Amino acid sequence: MKRFLSLALALLMVLCLVPAAMAESVADLAKAAESMTHEELVEKALAEEGTFVVYGNTSRIVTAAENFSALYGIAFEGSNLKDAEIYTKLSTEIEGKSKGADMVMIQDGASLQSIAIANGYLVNFVPASVKANVAEADQNPLIQQFINKTFIWNNKGENVPAITNVWQLTEPQFKGNIVFKSPDAEQVNMNFLVMLTNEEWSGKLATAYKNLYGKEIDLGEYPNAGYKWIAEFLGNCVFGNSDTTLAEEVSQETAQGKIGLFVLSKLRSSSVLTENLTVGQYQAAETGVAIEPFSGFMYPMYAMLSSNASRPYTAMLFIEYLMGADGFKPWGKSIGAYSGNAEIAPLEGDLPLADWKASLVMEDPAYILANYEDVYFFVNMFLQ
Amino acid sequence: MPEIILKNVTKRFGKFVAVDNLDLYIADRSFITLLGPSGCGKTTTLRMIAGLETPTEGEILIDGETVFSAEKGINVPPNKRDVGFLFQNYALWPHMTVYQNIAFGLENLKWEKKKIKSRVEEMLALLKIEQFVKRYPSELSGGQQQRVAIARTLAPSPKVLFMDEPLSNLDAKLRQEMRTELKRLHSDTNSTFVYVTHDQLEAMTLSTQVCLMNNGLLQQYDPPLKIYGGPANLFVAEFVGNPTMNFIPADVVKLEGNRVELTMLGKKALFQARDNVENLGEKAVLGVRPEFLPIQDGGAVKGHVYSTLPTGMETTVKVTCGDTMLTSVVFGNVDYPVDMPISLSANGDQLMLFDQQSGNAVGQGSLTIMD
Amino acid sequence: MLNPFSARQRARVRAFFGKPANIILVAFCAVLSVLTLYPLILLLLETVTVHAGKEVTSIKLPRGSFTLYSLKNIFATSRFNYSQLTFYQPLFNTLAVALTASLIAILFGGGVAWLITRTNLKCKKFISSVFVFPYIMPAWTLATFWATFFKNVNVGAGTSNGIMAAVFGIYMPEWFVYGYFPISLVLGLHYAPFAYILIGGILRNMDANLEEAATILKTRRWRMMMRITLPIVKPALLSTLLLVFSSAMSAYSVPIFLGSPVRYYVLSTKMMSLINNFPGQGYIIAAVMIIFGVSILAVNQKITGSRKSYTTVTGKSSQISLVNLRGGNWPIAIILTVLMILVAVVPLITFALESVIIKAGDYSLSNMTLDFWIGRNLNYLDQGDSTGILLSAKVLKALGYSLLLAITCSVVAGTSGVLVGYGIVKRRGSKLSTLVSNLSFFPYLMPSLAFGAIYLAMSTRVPGLQGFAVLALIGSVKYLPFASRSGVNAMLQLSGEIEEAAVIVGVPWYKRMIRILFPIQKSSFLSGYLLPMVSCMRELSLFVLLVPTSNTLLTTMLMQYSEKGWAQFGNAINLMIIIVVLLVNFLVNKVTGASIDKGVGG
Repeated sequence: MKRFLSLALALLMVLCLVPAAMAESVADLAKAAESMTHEELVEKALAEEGTFVVYGNTSRIVTAAENFSALYGIAFEGSNLKDAEIYTKLSTEIEGKSKGADMVMIQDGASLQSIAIANGYLVNFVPASVKANVAEADQNPLIQQFINKTFIWNNKGENVPAITNVWQLTEPQFKGNIVFKSPDAEQVNMNFLVMLTNEEWSGKLATAYKNLYGKEIDLGEYPNAGYKWIAEFLGNCVFGNSDTTLAEEVSQETAQGKIGLFVLSKLRSSSVLTENLTVGQYQAAETGVAIEPFSGFMYPMYAMLSSNASRPYTAMLFIEYLMGADGFKPWGKSIGAYSGNAEIAPLEGDLPLADWKASLVMEDPAYILANYEDVYFFVNMFLQ
Repeated sequence: MPEIILKNVTKRFGKFVAVDNLDLYIADRSFITLLGPSGCGKTTTLRMIAGLETPTEGEILIDGETVFSAEKGINVPPNKRDVGFLFQNYALWPHMTVYQNIAFGLENLKWEKKKIKSRVEEMLALLKIEQFVKRYPSELSGGQQQRVAIARTLAPSPKVLFMDEPLSNLDAKLRQEMRTELKRLHSDTNSTFVYVTHDQLEAMTLSTQVCLMNNGLLQQYDPPLKIYGGPANLFVAEFVGNPTMNFIPADVVKLEGNRVELTMLGKKALFQARDNVENLGEKAVLGVRPEFLPIQDGGAVKGHVYSTLPTGMETTVKVTCGDTMLTSVVFGNVDYPVDMPISLSANGDQLMLFDQQSGNAVGQGSLTIMD
Repeated sequence: MLNPFSARQRARVRAFFGKPANIILVAFCAVLSVLTLYPLILLLLETVTVHAGKEVTSIKLPRGSFTLYSLKNIFATSRFNYSQLTFYQPLFNTLAVALTASLIAILFGGGVAWLITRTNLKCKKFISSVFVFPYIMPAWTLATFWATFFKNVNVGAGTSNGIMAAVFGIYMPEWFVYGYFPISLVLGLHYAPFAYILIGGILRNMDANLEEAATILKTRRWRMMMRITLPIVKPALLSTLLLVFSSAMSAYSVPIFLGSPVRYYVLSTKMMSLINNFPGQGYIIAAVMIIFGVSILAVNQKITGSRKSYTTVTGKSSQISLVNLRGGNWPIAIILTVLMILVAVVPLITFALESVIIKAGDYSLSNMTLDFWIGRNLNYLDQGDSTGILLSAKVLKALGYSLLLAITCSVVAGTSGVLVGYGIVKRRGSKLSTLVSNLSFFPYLMPSLAFGAIYLAMSTRVPGLQGFAVLALIGSVKYLPFASRSGVNAMLQLSGEIEEAAVIVGVPWYKRMIRILFPIQKSSFLSGYLLPMVSCMRELSLFVLLVPTSNTLLTTMLMQYSEKGWAQFGNAINLMIIIVVLLVNFLVNKVTGASIDKGVGG
């Protein structure tokens, strides 16, 4: 009897130890794996079981996952969701300890920081094989690619809105002629507006104003030039719900005089009549006259591990894959996508990432979070 | 022997008292009617005995077995009480044929198929509805539906049969016919019948005992003729009998043993009761059935003909006597001109005297009108 | 002294639970409290909680702490006119839209109900059968149709012309295309069948003697209408008004399609835009909507409570004297028929058309293809999917998942509806019965989106309540009001004797339900299954937050596609949903006789 009891106790101890051993966190695994070679990752990934689950707020993540799955023979489920939905799902699934994603590809740096990273939902991982090719600043959280939204206009008819200064957009003749996806409908658009209120961009906007009109800007009630531009720009905008639709509509023969600020890569869609469109920054590259002080904005798409991943090594392998040339193919075949890996050049005909970065407003999550409510309340006035 | 005993049965719905402290003994093989105006608690009583309603207080025994007791916490479900129930609206199942309607209950009692078939056929024959066996209830007339309902109720041979105004949806002629059938069935089936009706004629013609209720209270529980001849109070007197009993208000002048001197219709009269009259106040009501108030030349009560209502076998004559309207019944077919002066006399020893205050009967006897 | 309860008390409890109706009511009371009141409490808690993300950085309190900050923001922030723009203006818009929509529904639905039941109108059969279409179809059907049909370069985003401008050259003004007017009109048309069914039911059952008596007294027609017909249907009118009002108030898809292009916000769309950034504020708006709903329910109950006393439903008098429309007959019939075709048929044709054109706005044959339906290798289109929807494993899987969910919800809600209906009617008048009746109606008042958000929060606290389970649960609860309504209606039409006749011979309860009650009221009960099923198939906002990633529903897929701007696939899927819904409705109706109107019918 005694022996039986001690045996049972021993067994119990072993049982207790097993989950403790298994409970090594995804973060620890990721840290340890940062020095692993590609082969080691593959070996570990193939040893894992179950379906590999990917969430992404880009439709092409599914294509990438399909190719990845074909390459390694790993069954996957890919879901293309809105960024806000992904953040909601992550928090409910991880807090509720239910099975969710293994890996997530997502935009909106501010929410990434304040929701996913602050609460430990997502874990960073930089594959050793690409570390050298990714800029230091883009490594934590790891940026898989950059996406740009830029001024694109209809080039038909007499009144082509070929702007050279963003203040032109605040003039009365642009009323109702600018299309922009509502900042309410997509966070990155809101983030862009918030960024305009910082010192750097409000300063640049003030200078641009002076350059255009030859006089100092009169701020009136506005805290700075950024606020003034936001107010007058949004006042002239009509809001859409989808960048694809906006691209399609601006490209119509009937849309003469219209200009939009939307995702460049939407020009790939068959329903967009690209011959009717002119991309401001491309024209600037040809003529040498850039749009002052920016020709749109750019935001990163991050690739991270989910902290409740059940296939963490597969997720790491997939991140490595996405950072490579093959993994970037679904995006790389059209303009408007720029890999975080410096080795991968943009599509021919597109501009290099550095050129874009110089002429676009970039996200700064810390500034956005600190000033979000203020700008949101302000912007809210023009959404009604 | 299925006798039914109710002890202090009370049923309250919230604050409303539907049945108030009812005691009732229903003898084996009797045909009891629960009679009263709508809302008097008769249906509730029936449903409580059948087990479809749970009493708030009291005790119910069927065949010596306590089927309900609030005190002891006994409540036997309806199907264990061995009773049959015939519903006012027949409650035939519209999606089943006549055969299925009758057989369904038997199947449920786990009877053998063969036995069910023979029993159903027996019932169909008893109620003369063999030709409808394959029909659905909607394809039958009201009377035929009623027969099916009876057949369905009788099929399991319940010891006690409850009927809730089963004839109220039939026309006058059919009702008459079904009454005859029911009375015959009662003697054929050898079971106890409890029958709810608001039709006093039905109660009079069918039952061995009538239980007359009003506002949840038992008014009188007696054989029909006793109820008719010796109503216990004004309510019973008025409810039973058609045409209604004459009620003549009277002032009590003098009360001596079983002799009461009254002033009524402007005259003095002497009421001679069989027994001593007790509990009579200053005001009384004299109750005279129309047949005891015949038209008689030289009768003491003088009046004028208001209208004459002949039915063929007898004639009801309405007579005004001062402010009072009196009803008299004359055998045969007579017609009096309107406003003709006429005289009536109060005959027999079955006149009733009620105390006006309480409404209770205080004596039965004969009346002599002076001067 | 072992047992503190006397035999009497124990017997009473036993007698109470001896009745299946009581067991049902107690069980549903408990379950529904958990499924409706608990979410409500959670929702109220969320309004005073700091949420992750921007709330943490703006409020500067840790996640989960108590705060009145969101309440202050929503109700009392004058900075940048915030409260006015975020709450008061949308609230005003909501009330304006809901009121106008319910009036349109009543005038149109009630008017047609009168024409159908009380006049010798031509084409009655066609009009009455097509009239319920808009109610069966998803509400966004008409909204998207309206936008695609009337949009033009002069209004809204104004970059392309819809059919009206492109084909007929007519440019409608902005107020006509977007905002208050079309939202109210589309919602009004969507709910008109609801009014038609409720008011038509009363008119049909109304004892014609009442009108005949007036006719004999030589009352003039209009006077009769004003003094007799209207007062009799007034409770139904008011009840319809309130029900449509509360439905229109929480409608989301119509204002998002027709409001957002011109920045016209209502509470539901505002809630949706807030819930991602400032969930606390979003939940407050949801709570406000529920408070409105509950007050409306209370008013409605007061009105319908007194209804019984007025409507005489004898069903005896069958000869209703029909009003002769004389010369007006054909014109009215033709106008209605054309209107019905416009509202119910043209949208379908439009969707079909939009799903076959390659480049938007070009309706020439050379620009058409069936690839979006049956094509393969469509990567050249770059529209998200590489195969036509009828061949796409993804779409077919979503269709299967939608159907599975709809059937599950319909079975659960429908069966619960039968049971609840039984319990409520059997114990009519008791407090418990009223309580369960209210509880089972409560989900109707919960704005779908907020309800979904709370269930999402709930699913994190309850193990196993994820994926399909939570979808099926919320769908069943949300559509229980429809099912329990038809359950109650069906039971009310059955006299208690029908069941008692079986009780007497000892038929057990389950057998009475299966063999007696259900078969007799089959079509009414089944209608209680049909409505949840149809609603589930077309539901979006309720499920959007809860849909598991591995399985999409047709509706969430549709939303995704329309957000991505994949119009052709979107239109094709939209058409697929509508056809499936109509088909289900038609088949169930033909096979069992159940119909939507029986389910809603009062």
